[in-house]
Amino acid sequence: MNNEIFSDSHLEEIASFKGIKLFWIKTQKFKTNSINIFFHDNLTRDRASKNALLPAVLRRGTKEFPSIRDISLYLDELYGTAFDCGVTKKGENHIIQFYIEYISDKYASSDVDLTKNAFDFLMKIITDPVLENGKFKNEYVEQEIKKLSELISSRVNDKMHYALERCLEEMCSKEPFGIYDYGSLEDLKTIDRDNLFEHYIEFIETLPMYVFISGDLKLPQIQYIKDGLSKLKRGQEKEIIINEKESSVNNVKDIVERFDVSQGKLSLGFRTNIYAQQEDYYKLLVYNSVLGGGIHSKLFQNVREKEGLAYYAFSRLEKFKGLMVISSGIEISNKDRAIDVIKNQLDEIRKGNISDYEYEAAIKSIETGIKSLKDSQLQLVDFYLSQHIAKTNDKPDSIIEKIKQVSKKDIAEIASKIELDTVYFITNNEKGE
Amino acid sequence: MEIKTINYSKIDEVVYCYEHKSGLKAFVIPKKGYSKKYATFATHYGSINNEFNVAGENTKVPDGIAHFLEHKLFEQKDGSVMDKFSKLGSSPNAYTSFSQTVYLFSCTDRFDENFDLLLDYVQNPYITEESVEKEKDIIGQEIRMYEDNANWKVFFNLLDAFYEKNPVKIDIAGSIESISKINKEVLYKCYNTFYHPSNMVILVVGDVDHKEVFSKVEKGIQITDKQPDIERIFPDESLGINKDYVEHKLSVAMPVFQMGFKDSGFKTKGTECLNREIALKILLEMIVGRSSNLYTKLYNEGLINNTFEFDYSIEENYAFSSFGGESKDPLKVKEFIVKEIKDLYSRGLSKDDFQRIKKAMRGRFIKQLNSVERVSHMFMSVYFKDVNVFDYFDVYDKISFEYLENLFKEHFVIDNLAMSVVKPIDS
Repeated sequence: MNNEIFSDSHLEEIASFKGIKLFWIKTQKFKTNSINIFFHDNLTRDRASKNALLPAVLRRGTKEFPSIRDISLYLDELYGTAFDCGVTKKGENHIIQFYIEYISDKYASSDVDLTKNAFDFLMKIITDPVLENGKFKNEYVEQEIKKLSELISSRVNDKMHYALERCLEEMCSKEPFGIYDYGSLEDLKTIDRDNLFEHYIEFIETLPMYVFISGDLKLPQIQYIKDGLSKLKRGQEKEIIINEKESSVNNVKDIVERFDVSQGKLSLGFRTNIYAQQEDYYKLLVYNSVLGGGIHSKLFQNVREKEGLAYYAFSRLEKFKGLMVISSGIEISNKDRAIDVIKNQLDEIRKGNISDYEYEAAIKSIETGIKSLKDSQLQLVDFYLSQHIAKTNDKPDSIIEKIKQVSKKDIAEIASKIELDTVYFITNNEKGE
Repeated sequence: MEIKTINYSKIDEVVYCYEHKSGLKAFVIPKKGYSKKYATFATHYGSINNEFNVAGENTKVPDGIAHFLEHKLFEQKDGSVMDKFSKLGSSPNAYTSFSQTVYLFSCTDRFDENFDLLLDYVQNPYITEESVEKEKDIIGQEIRMYEDNANWKVFFNLLDAFYEKNPVKIDIAGSIESISKINKEVLYKCYNTFYHPSNMVILVVGDVDHKEVFSKVEKGIQITDKQPDIERIFPDESLGINKDYVEHKLSVAMPVFQMGFKDSGFKTKGTECLNREIALKILLEMIVGRSSNLYTKLYNEGLINNTFEFDYSIEENYAFSSFGGESKDPLKVKEFIVKEIKDLYSRGLSKDDFQRIKKAMRGRFIKQLNSVERVSHMFMSVYFKDVNVFDYFDVYDKISFEYLENLFKEHFVIDNLAMSVVKPIDS
């Protein structure tokens, strides 16, 4: 294997200007190239719904491609180029993403520069929307408000994810993290095309931007993108400040939601009091892997394999906010027993009862996961973006090095910092619990 | 050792193939520079194979047994094979579909040991009465999980609308009642019938040396004699649909629907099957894809949202198209689709649309080759239909507009249209 050509996790910072950071993940491994543009905001009640609605309205059309159909016709002609946008939260950061992915030049006819076309298109989506009297087209705004309301209401359709997200929201109901990625139905009601347009101008002029180009590009193509970005009208860059304060738990919250379901969904939310910038974070990564990070984990081995209580039982970290959530689908009548078994697993780790198998498999599993992300452009981009958001400076390989230094004793030590905050349960309407 | 090499230079892919003396075929698709190595060991046996004949002996088995067997193969005499994979840092997995059971692992290091393990455990079941009973609890929770899943429910109800007896309409995991009848003997019976190497395939995708993989297969496959043919028995099914509408209620915020056309009288193997699948996918794009007028109408009327998707499936004893997602008014969606299809009968299909969509689908196909998982899944999903996944790319050139027009008339027959809706409980 030629390491020069296939060095695939290398990130190069190309430029930084006007609050825009431009990166290039140089790789020949993939058969496509991609461009990702991220806007970075604070997650706040008054902005969340607007931030969510904005990409939905922008993807409806540009002056040149004024409808979904016009956009699709154009992307079809660009060899089925994929385009999408959306929002996500990373801790109390709100991230708005615009993404385009197209085949490498070698698979396209030589008279077309797909990179140029794709980048121009993405910029038109962001900066050149269809306007009506100098504001967004009313029809588009109204339709997208309805669709976003549907999306928010339909969260309950997927009980597994719903139970997990709701647990964390209930846990952080008095903190910005408790805000749903897409905002709320009430906040959506306050939006019209006037205040959305105002928000839009401020959004594109002041929010910090991260641009990631990934793939086998030539220098003039990179230069073209850089030039295009430098033409953006930008004002004073907004400073994104996230308040990370430890909060100790006084009383464990007990939340029950009722639906007509046949399976109960149990989520336990924890405060780890450990954040990504701290050295303890790597210990926490291994802790989580031992507890519920795969088939080697205590939760899988005990809740599923030994007790037969569940088909799935896992734990997951929210690294930006220092949270952990355990999730499992169980027979409704088994709630108390499942909680006991889960709590026992946490106790075992606290006491240092971690087998060699659990410990070694936990580290191996993280290593495999991190090496694997190099095989996906989107995952690599997300990895590097997360490093910037969390203000950490890790590379895939440096994380692997650090987790290998974590000992069983380290895991047991940080276990005492992890506090149960909220027990959340979805049960059915008939039987009580 | 005889190794066949097939080059797909237009898309820079190569497939190596080797046939073991038992009749098992093994394939390697090299992916230079990838960290992940993805190995699959699969049998042509899935949830629909609940009745079969071997050497004149007829056997009927409880629903959900192929899936149950998949769970049980992970158990070995010296413990769970999952633990052994975990020790090596790899993630093992398995899934059962209608017509195949697939065992796989993904690793970044120590491929050889992982691969030996895969070959070993799939060939050496160790099933005890006690472990069968315990597994019923775990699978019971898996079944319960799907009972609450609207997308799952609405899809199986569409199959129920299409088919009266075809076992494809039965939940892959079976029911709590059907799995209660499963025991050790019947599991071994199914294993011995369907897990003969000649009924199986091995595929490795990743940065590996294909010769080493094949020599491991040569040494690692224990059975070398051929076995009698398996006759898979399916009930006779009428050509038309079973019901035109099925409704169910679940705890959802907005109705979820699936509708589609039942396909009949088709060839399900080889090139013809591939042509049909791709042509129908092109047709669906033309009729209701994002660049169609119908999509715009449905979207602007607020009848569909971004959950809307469509597909065409073709397997050995069934085929159908399907469209679905969330909608406040699924019947209205159906009205629009029916009207558009009727209009298309008089208006005719557009040649420009056809050319444009072919170009787009070709690009999307190339994009999927980026992922070792996608390549493996695509390969496996067509392998037992005697189709090589990379042949997809050339089919786009071979499909004529006339073929498409004929297929349109054959498939989009309103009498074959069925619909399934899951409504909110309090509606």
